[in-house]
Amino acid sequence: MTKPYVPVGIICSQSGPYQAMGREILKSAMMAVDEINSQAEFDFAIAPHIRDPRGIVSEYHTVCDDLIRNVGVEHIIGCYTSASRKQVLPIVERTDRLLWYPARYEGFECSDNVIYVGASPNHNVLPLVRYVLDNLSREIFCVGSNYVWTWETNRVTRELVSAADGHILAERLLELGESAVGHIVDEIVRRKPPIVFNTLVGSSSYDFIRAFHAGTKAAGLEIPMLSCSLCEPELAIVGPASAGCITSSAYFESIRLPENRAFVARWKARHGEDSSPSVDGQSAYVAVYLLARALQRAGTSDIAEVQRAAAGYRYNSPQGPVWIDGGNNHCVLTPRLAVSNPRGQFDIFWEADAPVKPDPYLTQLDVVASPSRETSAGGALPNAPHLRVVK
Amino acid sequence: MSRPSSFSLRGRRALVAIKDERDVTIVRRQFERLGIECVAWTPGEPVDFAPDLSLIDDEFLPLLQAAQRAFLARSPVIALLGTETPSRLKLVFELDPASFLVKPLRSAGIYAALVMAFERNERTSELKQQILKLEQRLRSRRVVLAAVLQVMHSHALAEPAAFALIRKAAMEQRKTIEELSAEITASGMLPRATG
Repeated sequence: MTKPYVPVGIICSQSGPYQAMGREILKSAMMAVDEINSQAEFDFAIAPHIRDPRGIVSEYHTVCDDLIRNVGVEHIIGCYTSASRKQVLPIVERTDRLLWYPARYEGFECSDNVIYVGASPNHNVLPLVRYVLDNLSREIFCVGSNYVWTWETNRVTRELVSAADGHILAERLLELGESAVGHIVDEIVRRKPPIVFNTLVGSSSYDFIRAFHAGTKAAGLEIPMLSCSLCEPELAIVGPASAGCITSSAYFESIRLPENRAFVARWKARHGEDSSPSVDGQSAYVAVYLLARALQRAGTSDIAEVQRAAAGYRYNSPQGPVWIDGGNNHCVLTPRLAVSNPRGQFDIFWEADAPVKPDPYLTQLDVVASPSRETSAGGALPNAPHLRVVK
Repeated sequence: MSRPSSFSLRGRRALVAIKDERDVTIVRRQFERLGIECVAWTPGEPVDFAPDLSLIDDEFLPLLQAAQRAFLARSPVIALLGTETPSRLKLVFELDPASFLVKPLRSAGIYAALVMAFERNERTSELKQQILKLEQRLRSRRVVLAAVLQVMHSHALAEPAAFALIRKAAMEQRKTIEELSAEITASGMLPRATG
């Protein structure tokens, strides 16, 4: 008997400045869709309706409107940048649909019509900056793409660094897709900051990392670089210059969990031995599974029922246990820190000892008092200070 | 001393007067996410704590009791607007709101309205203190003028030199010019000419 289909929209840019990540999200989402559609566990199949906004912000509104009006989807997976999510948000709220957003983002949003599957700011920027302040330096040079992800990441970084009596040495911003990075590398070589925090996205980031590597090497400098977004497919794009970047993420291909080993094996069987999954792609894969399990449990695609069925449901994903915090629609997940190696992989050197509650508004962080002081109220702590070194 | 960041809202207590149950649910849920305690209130009822903030639905306006208006004025008020008609806005002005939200509410916008209200309140308090200080200084200018005249006569000095003498003496005695001038006019004691 043929299973009934549930139409699901998938919005990711296959061209434009962040096309590489859009393609990773699509590949991973489709891998999950194909797996789910072949499993007897599910009494329905997902019918994916893929739309490509080509990295043009206004196109996200158009394709989302099309998916809802003409296809009649109730659930949409996708968007990468916050600018694209903000385009989709008014439509899904007005029409009461649900967006499953896979990317890590800067927080300070909590729509009832969005499930935030990626990392919240307390999962990515906080552990990274805290590590730097505790172990490396209190002076940071920031370079990023001129949009909300960088603005907010820099704001949080500045608050943490200032509370530790440190300094932000510079904040240099480039427009999305900008490739003229030489002047910033020249400035870094001239000023020799102890740390560079890179929040550039897409091609700008790749150009910058290559130029930074060449410029600092020529000057005989060794300056560590930080990132909250770099992933394995990007290491392959950038090449050898990408080694040595300290990166904060909930997912790395090198996670030693049976679920991840099996996921990576399936990934490589599908996309080739040399191919690697990415954090945002894996997150899209998780989003499809969270949606499918919620659809199965709810027995309907009605979004209120699906949300009820999804909240608190624990999924042992490739990145480890993940579940949706019903209070704020963000995911509970495990933050990790790693350093990229010359083989295009990440060596994980720290992870939280348990999944961490999402704190999209950073309400549990008291930066005025101290960069590492947090409240002990409210049970499971975001940014739990109990750290475990991973070897 | 630095003041607490307006971006951090955890631990604050809010008085919430909202009529529509759906709006109440949205506010409660968003406040929970932000770590704010929400205390439901109907204007006219007694309040036994000092709120850090009040959300007042325009459905409750006008507030008839002056004491209620004075009580709300002690902390920032966010007005909830159901209509933008001038007649309703005139009623809202009575609350002197630090920020506003438009009904029906959605979770987006509440955090920004709260942060703006706290920030606006802080800045308004700072301005009020500055005005108070300037008013005090303005009042004391009469005393300063009297002291300058006294020193001009007693030391046979022109006005700028008399004033400079008072200022120097004030600095030496670690007093404000106004304080020293008050002493000069009250006691007739003149600052000793130095240098």
